[in-house]
Amino acid sequence: MDREHSLQMLRQHISKQEQFTPETRPAVPLGAATLDDTLPDHGLTLGTLHELLPARHGDFSSTVGFGFGLATRILRTHPGFVLWAQPSHQVFRQGAVYPIGLTALGFDPDRLIQVSTPKSRDVLWALEEGLTNSALTAVIGILPENDNAYDFTASRRLVLRAAENGVTALLIRNQPAFEAATAAEMRWSVGAMPSVAHHRIGHPMPGLGTPRWQIEITKSKRGIPGRWPVEWDHETLSFRLATTLADRTPVRTPRVVRQQWATAS
Amino acid sequence: MLSDSNGPQPHSNNPFVLSTSLQNGEVLTAVNAAASELGLHKAMPLTDARAICPSVKVTPADLEGDDKALHQLALWCQCYSPFVRADLPEGLTIDITGCAHLFGGEVTLLKELEARLRRFGLTAKLATAPTIGAAWATARHVADKRPIITPETLHNTLAPIPISALRLGKPTVEALAKVGLKQIRDLLGKPRAPLVARFGSQLIERLDQAFDKHDESFCALTPPPPYRTEQRFAEPIMTLPAIEEVIRHLSHNLSAALNKAGKGARKLELTFFRVDGWPETLSIQTSALALSRDAGHLLRLLCEHLDKLKDHAGFGFEVATLNAFDVETITPHQEGFKNSDERRKNGGDLSRLLDRFINRFGPGNVTRFAPYASYIPERAMRAVPVLQNNSRHNWVEHAHALQGDVHFGRPFLLFPSPEPITTLSEVPDGPPLRFEWNRISHRITRADGPERIAPEWWTKIGENCHQTRDYYRVEDEEGRRFWLYRDGLYEHEGKPPCWFIHGIFS
Repeated sequence: MDREHSLQMLRQHISKQEQFTPETRPAVPLGAATLDDTLPDHGLTLGTLHELLPARHGDFSSTVGFGFGLATRILRTHPGFVLWAQPSHQVFRQGAVYPIGLTALGFDPDRLIQVSTPKSRDVLWALEEGLTNSALTAVIGILPENDNAYDFTASRRLVLRAAENGVTALLIRNQPAFEAATAAEMRWSVGAMPSVAHHRIGHPMPGLGTPRWQIEITKSKRGIPGRWPVEWDHETLSFRLATTLADRTPVRTPRVVRQQWATAS
Repeated sequence: MLSDSNGPQPHSNNPFVLSTSLQNGEVLTAVNAAASELGLHKAMPLTDARAICPSVKVTPADLEGDDKALHQLALWCQCYSPFVRADLPEGLTIDITGCAHLFGGEVTLLKELEARLRRFGLTAKLATAPTIGAAWATARHVADKRPIITPETLHNTLAPIPISALRLGKPTVEALAKVGLKQIRDLLGKPRAPLVARFGSQLIERLDQAFDKHDESFCALTPPPPYRTEQRFAEPIMTLPAIEEVIRHLSHNLSAALNKAGKGARKLELTFFRVDGWPETLSIQTSALALSRDAGHLLRLLCEHLDKLKDHAGFGFEVATLNAFDVETITPHQEGFKNSDERRKNGGDLSRLLDRFINRFGPGNVTRFAPYASYIPERAMRAVPVLQNNSRHNWVEHAHALQGDVHFGRPFLLFPSPEPITTLSEVPDGPPLRFEWNRISHRITRADGPERIAPEWWTKIGENCHQTRDYYRVEDEEGRRFWLYRDGLYEHEGKPPCWFIHGIFS
C-alpha cells in the first residue's frame, strides 16, 4: 500500500516535470460517442499538434472544412482567437477562407486572425509565435505540397510550444502521401464522402445533405488508429457518426418467382 | 556640389566649374577653389568665365541631385540634434539648443562637425549664433573660421555684413543699394516706419529676427520625437551582435524613460548613422490595441529587421538613436501578485502577437474579416488589416441576409477570381451533369439551386462580367462539393453559356 502510494506520487511528479506528456490532458469531445471513446483522451486532445492530411488529391477543401469543424468544437468550450496562417501563393491555387461560409459551421469569423505569409517556412514561424500566446485557442497552418520546411524538428518545436500554453495546433498539409515521422500527437486523414441525397419532387437531381467526411487516424501516439465516417450536425454544432441509409429501392423479383406467387395465391 | 559625371574632382588644382543653362545662356552654379582664385564666381555667365580662363573645365550641374544630397546630409545631421532643416540650395540649419554640451561645447561641436564634413569630401562654412538669421549671415559672410556669435557680440558682428545676408528678396536688396544702404549697420537706428513703407515689412522682420527681437522658428525636416535615446560609439560598429547589443541598450533606456513618464508609443524609429554620412532608418508601427513600452517587446520587434541593417552597414555605424513617436499616456493597471508562471499564462496579450506579425509580414498581410453589405459573393466581405479592424460584427445576421434559411449556402473556400470550367451534357436551366476543372472530370450526383445573384446596377463586378449569375451547389460522386455558376442567362442569343467555379465547400 505504502509502496503503491509512493509510486503514484512519483508518477505524478514525473508527469508534472514533463510538461508536454502529462498523463491526462484536456480534451474536447467531438460529439460522436463511438469516436470519442476510441480517442486516448475521450476527445480531441488540446495543447498539442494535430496533422490533417487530405485522403486523396482534391480533398484539400474537405480537410479545411473538417479542420474548421474541430476549431469550432474547441471554441465552444475554450473561447479565444484562432490564427489562420497560409502562404499567400496558396490562396490563388486553393482559394481563400470565406467567412460567410464558416458561419454555417457555427464558427464566428470575428475570432479569426489571418496571416498571409510570403513563404511556407514563415507559416511555421507564425504558428510557433501563435502557440506562445494564450489569447489564442487554436492555430491553423496550411502547408503546400512541396514544402520541405516541416520536419521532425519543426514538429517537435510546435508540440513543445503547444504544451506550454495549452494552445492547440492544427497543421493542414496538402499532401495525401505524407509519411514522414513527426512529433505530432495525431495524424488525421480526411476524405470527402457523398452526403445523404435529399430527394425532392420536381427536381431532376437530389439535393445536398450535410457535409460528410471519411476520417481516418493514421497515426496516434497513444491511441489506436481507426476509420470513421462522420458528418457535421449544425443543430448541436458537433460531429456525429454518419450512418448509411437503408437501401429503399424496390426489390426486383424474377418473372418465375412472380408466376409462382400468382399460382400460389 | 554634385556633377553629372565623374570627371575632374572639385578639389583638384585646375579650375573647375559647374554650369546650368538659364534663359540668358549658360551660368556658373559652382566653382572650385582654383577657379575662385582666378576670379570666377557663382552666377557668372559661362562665356565670361571662358574669357578669363580658357582652360576651365566645365560640367553640367545636377541641381536635383544637389537638393537630394543636401536632404540626405540634413538627415544625417540629425545625429547632432533632432531639429534640422535643409536650407535649399546650399545650407543646413541645425537647432543645437541644449545639445552643444553633449559634444563638449559649441567650439568642439563645430570643430567635430567640420572635420566630419571634410571627411565626406565637403567644404563647409560653419557658424553658431543666437538667431537663425545671424547664423545664416555669419556662415556666409564672416571670413573667420567657425565663428561663434554670442548675444553680446551679435551687434558688432552683424553690422559690417552686406544687407543681402538678411535673406531678403533680390528686388529689395537692389532697391536698398540704390539709396546707398548696403550694410546692415546702415539700417540700424534708422526710423522704421519709412523703411516699412518703402521696402515692405519683410525687411524689418528679417532685421528683428537676426537681432533676436522677433522669434523665428523652422519646420524640422522630420518631426522631432517626443522621446529619444541615443548612443555614440568610440569605434564604428558593423557586426550583428554589436548592433543587437546597442538595440538592447537603447530599448532599455527608452522603455525606462517611457515607464517613468507613464507613456507608451505607437511608432518607433531606429536610426543608425553611418560613418560616411548616411542614416539607415528602421520604422516600426505597433498595433492600435496597445501602446508599447516594454523593453523586451521593443527589442523583439526591432531585431526582426536587423539583417537589412547589417547589409547596409558599409564602413560601420557611429551613432544610433531610438525615437518614440505617437506617444500617449497609459492608464496603469496592476500586474498582480501572481508568480511569474501564472502571469505568463494570463499575459497572453494579443496585441503583442499582432505587433510581431505586422512587423514581419507587413500590416496588409495580417487581417480580420469585416462584413460588407453586398450580395455579390466576393464583395460581401473584406479582409481588413487588424490595425483598422477591432470592432465586433454580427456575422450570423449578415450570412442570414445573404443566404436566407439555407445552411451551407456559401463555400468555405472562395477563389479570388472565378475559374472557367468545361461543362458537358447540360440541361437547360439546370446544373450540368458533368464538368471538367483542372483536367479532372467530375460527375454531378447532387445539386441545389439555382440561386440567382444579379449584379448591382450601380457598380460593375469586374471588367467583363456584369451579368446575372446563377449559382448551383453541386456534389460529385466522391462527395466533393463545388459552387458553380453560369454567367448570364441560359437562353442568351444562341451563345453557349459560360460556366465558372467560384468556391469549394467542405
